[in-house]
Amino acid sequence: MIQAYFDCVNANGGVNGHPLKLFVQLDQTQPAQITAAAHKLIQSDHVVAIDGVFDLLECTLDQAYWKQLGIFEMDAGIAPECWSTPNSAAVNMGPRYSSDGAVQYALNTVKAKKIVFDQSNVPGTGYIAGGPTALAKAAGVPIKTETDNVPINDANTVALRLVQDAGPDGSVVLNFTPPEALVILQAAQKLGLEDRVKSWGCSTPCNTDFLAKALGPKWNHKLFVNAELASPDDHNGPEMQQYEAILKKYGSSVAGGIGSFSQMGFLLGKFLTQALETVKGPYTMKSVNAAIEGIKDYKTELLCQPWTYGKVALHIPNNADYTTTPENGKMVTAQGCTEISNADPQIAQYRSAAKAAGINLG
Amino acid sequence: MSTTEQIASPPEQGKTVQAPSRFPRSYAIRAVVIIALLLFVVLALPSLLSLYYVDALTQVAVYSIVALGLGVLVGRLGLVSLGQAAVLAIGAWVAARLLFGTGLPYEVVLLASGIITMVLGTLVGLPALRMRGLYLALITLMLAGAITVVLASLNFPNGGHGFSGYNGALVHIPPIRRPGIATSDPAFFRYSVIVAAVMFVLVVAHLRTKPGRAWAAIRQSEPAALAAGVNTTLYKLWAFALVSFITGVAGGVLAGAVRYLYSIDFQTQDSITLLAVVLMGGAYSIWGAIVAALFLQLLPALLNSWGLSPDWLTILFGIGVLQVLTTAPRGVVEQMPKDLAKLGRLIARGFGRTTSKEVA
Amino acid sequence: MHPLIHLALSLPTWQEEQPFLVTGLALGGVYALSGVGMIVLFRTTGVLNLSFGAVGAFGALISWQLINHNGMNQWLAYLACVLFGGVVTLAYGMVFGRVLAPRDPLVKTTATLGLTLILLGVMDLLWTSSGGASRSISLPTDNHGFLIGQVQVTTTDVIGLAFGIVITVATTVFLRYSKLGTAMRAMANDREITATLGVPVRRVEASAWFGCGIVAGIAGILLADMVALDATTLTFLVISSLAAALIARLSSVVVTFIAAIVIGVVDALVTPINGLTNYHDATPFVLAAIALLVLNRKRVISLSRQEF
Repeated sequence: MIQAYFDCVNANGGVNGHPLKLFVQLDQTQPAQITAAAHKLIQSDHVVAIDGVFDLLECTLDQAYWKQLGIFEMDAGIAPECWSTPNSAAVNMGPRYSSDGAVQYALNTVKAKKIVFDQSNVPGTGYIAGGPTALAKAAGVPIKTETDNVPINDANTVALRLVQDAGPDGSVVLNFTPPEALVILQAAQKLGLEDRVKSWGCSTPCNTDFLAKALGPKWNHKLFVNAELASPDDHNGPEMQQYEAILKKYGSSVAGGIGSFSQMGFLLGKFLTQALETVKGPYTMKSVNAAIEGIKDYKTELLCQPWTYGKVALHIPNNADYTTTPENGKMVTAQGCTEISNADPQIAQYRSAAKAAGINLG
Repeated sequence: MSTTEQIASPPEQGKTVQAPSRFPRSYAIRAVVIIALLLFVVLALPSLLSLYYVDALTQVAVYSIVALGLGVLVGRLGLVSLGQAAVLAIGAWVAARLLFGTGLPYEVVLLASGIITMVLGTLVGLPALRMRGLYLALITLMLAGAITVVLASLNFPNGGHGFSGYNGALVHIPPIRRPGIATSDPAFFRYSVIVAAVMFVLVVAHLRTKPGRAWAAIRQSEPAALAAGVNTTLYKLWAFALVSFITGVAGGVLAGAVRYLYSIDFQTQDSITLLAVVLMGGAYSIWGAIVAALFLQLLPALLNSWGLSPDWLTILFGIGVLQVLTTAPRGVVEQMPKDLAKLGRLIARGFGRTTSKEVA
Repeated sequence: MHPLIHLALSLPTWQEEQPFLVTGLALGGVYALSGVGMIVLFRTTGVLNLSFGAVGAFGALISWQLINHNGMNQWLAYLACVLFGGVVTLAYGMVFGRVLAPRDPLVKTTATLGLTLILLGVMDLLWTSSGGASRSISLPTDNHGFLIGQVQVTTTDVIGLAFGIVITVATTVFLRYSKLGTAMRAMANDREITATLGVPVRRVEASAWFGCGIVAGIAGILLADMVALDATTLTFLVISSLAAALIARLSSVVVTFIAAIVIGVVDALVTPINGLTNYHDATPFVLAAIALLVLNRKRVISLSRQEF
């Protein structure tokens, strides 16, 4: 999707006459490949900006490298360091804050009496579970955190275990990639478990029409998905129209089509282009990264609040969310923009740091 | 029928192991060439290449040890293991735990991870000794599956406390320590090449002496070996111990090479790919191990820089396995299909080795 | 507190375990499908077809493509999957199966890993999973079912289990009583002698390969529905399923089926136990390793090709 955005920019004359070139590195989530890719980008390809990292581990592995080079990366990451270091800012919320959002909805709106939080056994599970645990504790609600090895071979058993652990007054909140989450939810449906708990919740990856379609009507207003970005079906704003137009014209090869992932790519492409437009003089690693760090108050209806990079020790610029629910094969908005609670100490820390740095939190 | 058919047969059964005394001159030349090559790789190569390829070649060094181990089992004893990637994971886990938990010198940690992996590998090998062929391959696959699940649940050490040394809540995970003399990537590359060279020497020393001869006898016919007074149990166990040791050391080097270890990077199926490249490289040849490691670790880096999907590699490995098994029933190096043989000869010539024996 | 005491105290009640027994049966059915499918070919040709899962996954993805992008009737699409399984497996059997026929079972089995890798690579190229793309197949039988205790059992689960039983019974009867079956059994023992006895070896082999492929295709559709429509997951599901075949020492179809069910049930029953839940995935491997070590206590010296 970033490529599609760059193609569009280049077709319209580039940025200040400079065409944009995107160097894509594929990795198989192996640390050696990721660090090697970072070295290659800087040394062989001489790139000036790191924009759009979608990877499980990248932030952890490359943080020190970016810091040493003075690079301010923009990403849609997953690793904890994407949100807790000076040199990385994400357009997405990431698993921890997105799970916060889903748990928060179960606590405040559904009024669940118990939370069962289950996630895939990937690096950083303890860090991710820290958010929901803090939120539940603040609300005085018991929480059980679990992990499952992926790929899941026996989703029935997993679904059954979750429902038994949560009980009729509890909520089950999942943090999985779309295929795994779908597998668990479909298993619950097959076993007739949808109504055995008060509600089901899910972090952002579940926010796709594909999931809503695959699940069917039994989940209408039973499953609540945290959405870090505006619903892809919201066609009203100018940015969403632009996103769809670009996707249609340049994005024929974008995997997955319309959805959160390509929305993130759109924003990452857009932010970088905007930053580049402000650069006076030649594009160097220094001037470009200064411009990236200077991105400020970018307002888009895709996000709940203006997006600012800024000089802070940690960046959680996206910290307010929507909640969606399936309705007859589509994901619709169940709750508008809601701030992630300060009960998560990381969020509280960011907000006070941002306030001190004069960042507009919306 | 008195012999068990092997997955890859040696070029000249029984003769090569006695070769040293017969061809002293060619061995002297070979030794000089190998040392020159090693010096080139260690001294000149890192400065000629970008960090991207230095990182990739560090992985090649690590996996050449693993491939060498599997090559010994498959090529010298005719025992196919589908669990070597899991053995590597154990080595890496132990090394990471020791590097985080102790201040021991890196070399001591390598030795310790080798020895601990050796003990575990031999314990596994002990009951598996009664099996061979398909059963052994499948039981190693089962054990690899179990180890993978245990490591996934235990997680790799990341600087936390307790037995597992893992703390899932940790942010700003510290990288795994490297030896003081090899903290930079090029320096660590040199370090891993030297470790790999030592492991190769260790294995070659075994092959050229009594154990090597015993393995060749067992491989040809276990009953005959028994009749000839070879303690087959001892020597098979010895092979398992040696292979587990060097694979454990390789795991220790891997820990320092990647500096962050995650259980998602160690899958049961990795052992299958490993077997594929070892068969393609040539299970009987020492050089085959290096070719296998180049297939496994350098090719993906090349494909990536050409913008090709790594999935092509999976397809290539599949074709390679079929080609090797169907067209080279007597052994990979001896009867490599023509195109691969050409490639092999080119590589062999590049390494300056005397090829007459292999292509005869 | 000692961990074992803790474990004993947190053991789930029978009330809690009951529903897991039901899901365990379904999981056992999943393992049985591929376990039995693989053992049938092994009994007849001496090949343990490790590409069984990859063939089924490829077929299921073709069905998905035909249904979702070509608007094909779903039953026709499933038929395409079954045919794909039959044709690919037959083609492999005719080309590589034949060339490798006189070789050791280990070589024949390793060669099927080659086919597995090729199919897996092509699947990942054609149906990428990057960008969060995911797919699913839902059989109409998912929406019908009945309650056992508190748990809904879908007709698909029942079909999966029934299909496993049908194959088990059919192959057992076929191998034991039919002429072709007797020929197959003889052939798996010694191909050359069988040929000299006037058995049309090639035709018998071809039907075994084709049959195995058909089973792989059907299992592919069922497993895509019951487990997940994901190339890697389905391809390597055979590793867990192999456990059952190994417990049966690669010889008895009936024992394979029973072992698969036992593995599934144990796996599911272990899941609600707090200290063990993260290790329940290891159930097939642990059970297989224990069974093999116990069954193989006798020292075996290889004298002929039939020994492993």
